[in-house]
Amino acid sequence: MIRHQLALIKREIWEHRSIFVTPLAIASIVTLGSLAALIFASGFAEELHMAIFGATNIVGDSGRTAVLTGHFVGTSWLFLVALAILTVFYSLDSLYAERKDKSILFWRSLPVTDAETVISKLITAVVVIPIVAVITIVATHIVNLIVTSIWVSAKGGDAFLLIWGSVALLDNWLAVLIVVLATAIWMSPFIGWFLLVSAFAKRSPLPMAFLPLVLIPLLEGIFLHSRFFATAVFGRGTSMPLFHGINMDAIFDKSYQLQVNEEVISLLLYLDVGQFVLSPATWAGVVVCGLLTTGAIYIRRYRGES
Amino acid sequence: MTSLVSAQGVSKNYGSVRAVDNVSFEIEKGKILGVIGPNGAGKTTLLKAVLGLTDCEGQLSVLGLDPFRQRKELMQNICFIADVAVLPRWMKVWQLLDYVEAVHPNFSRKRAEGHLQSTKIQSTAKVRQLSKGMVTQLHLSIIMAIDAKLLVLDEPTLGLDIIFRKEFYANLLNDYFDDERTIIITTHQVEEVEYLLTDVMFIDEGRILLDSPMDLLADTYVEVLTSGENAVKARALGPIADNEMFGESVMLFEGVSRDRLEGFGELRTPAIADLFVAKIKGARK
Repeated sequence: MIRHQLALIKREIWEHRSIFVTPLAIASIVTLGSLAALIFASGFAEELHMAIFGATNIVGDSGRTAVLTGHFVGTSWLFLVALAILTVFYSLDSLYAERKDKSILFWRSLPVTDAETVISKLITAVVVIPIVAVITIVATHIVNLIVTSIWVSAKGGDAFLLIWGSVALLDNWLAVLIVVLATAIWMSPFIGWFLLVSAFAKRSPLPMAFLPLVLIPLLEGIFLHSRFFATAVFGRGTSMPLFHGINMDAIFDKSYQLQVNEEVISLLLYLDVGQFVLSPATWAGVVVCGLLTTGAIYIRRYRGES
Repeated sequence: MTSLVSAQGVSKNYGSVRAVDNVSFEIEKGKILGVIGPNGAGKTTLLKAVLGLTDCEGQLSVLGLDPFRQRKELMQNICFIADVAVLPRWMKVWQLLDYVEAVHPNFSRKRAEGHLQSTKIQSTAKVRQLSKGMVTQLHLSIIMAIDAKLLVLDEPTLGLDIIFRKEFYANLLNDYFDDERTIIITTHQVEEVEYLLTDVMFIDEGRILLDSPMDLLADTYVEVLTSGENAVKARALGPIADNEMFGESVMLFEGVSRDRLEGFGELRTPAIADLFVAKIKGARK
């Protein structure tokens, strides 16, 4: 069973190279972007000198932490957006492409059940893709921090004080891992839905997946004057019970600039894993995902044309 | 008797279309069965049912298993080539071998690589870079490296040129087939497989028109080349097919003994293709 799952997941990674290519592309963009910024900044020797002096002597620990954490969140955010798009396309394609190119006949000629196959695609979407993204995020941060340290040192600054000592790296990486995995689990009903559409669609799974998400709330609003479905679908993205105690005003000021604030130390402080794990909404999502995935297995198995 | 496949009253409907209509048959171990029928006759549907790819009515047992409900167990002992185009085009040859090795308990990678060495297929090539003939060679190399009890080939050589087709069947007979193995083949190119079959089955409109060992065909079916007065006499015995060729009549008889036909002209055993046409025409009258 586990041997099969490993082989199946390896198969998914071979087929969908975007699982690696997308995060690597974002990593290159982030790295090139910060290199360009460093080169650009090097042109202003006087200002630079003042900035390093200011960062070392005036701003203080909390200020440095705030700036670096802001940079950390900002670059991670790019990965998360890419990750979301990647997951949508991956799960919509996963059971559709094999029917389109008829390779499903080959896959089904081997002693692997439909359940094993579909579950491997679910695991890829909910676990593998996020973990690959987190590894790339961490690697990107390390590379960028090293490059920046060398640069700061070359410009006469103390890299250990200014960079390595000012940000709770391990905490923040762990926080990224938790946020990414929890988001995947929280949004897993959508992944289940995409798998179902992927197994079901005769053509164009993309519009087929999104049309009902728009139409059903519309019809519900018109005929039932309620917003249950709309809240469940569109509200889910903003109601994840993982975050707590976020006072946006404490982090950002009116012009959305990150404030220098003592609270900005470790991103872990903003996460409440217990609340997430114990929330009925989390488990309701997992159940819906399970039902939709079962539907996808059933369709793959009973579909006569394959 | 060791029945590998046993079907009793098997039917399959697609909506209102009855693709397979109440068929019953047995396939024994060590046979090579040719399933022959026109397009849409129900061959592929029947094979799908045998392979557990589709559910059906009636009783169907393959290697003692219910093919649809025990597909995973079944696939450990069955192989099939459904069509030349089904190997995943994005996959590299070594990935394909890796994957099959990981999921198939009866697959010998060594054997597969041995077969591949006699071809031009590189292990780093992607399936999409291979010609149609090479894809079939690759698929056959994998299949022949699986120690399976039953091999099902559905139009395995469709779209291949004659050299690949001949080679395909030669490989199959020389390197694969033995008394422990059983093969089911469907094809349009009857002439090419005729010599290797031990049994033949004709299907049309979801029904079995003929199910017989090849060596018994000569006892039941006789073709007579005749002309003139003999032709009139022969015709009175009720041939199932009667064609003119180069001024002579070619008549096909079913269940009429050779002794009775002896004096009418040259006797021979009909080719499968001719017998097939006669049976289909007869059934559709």
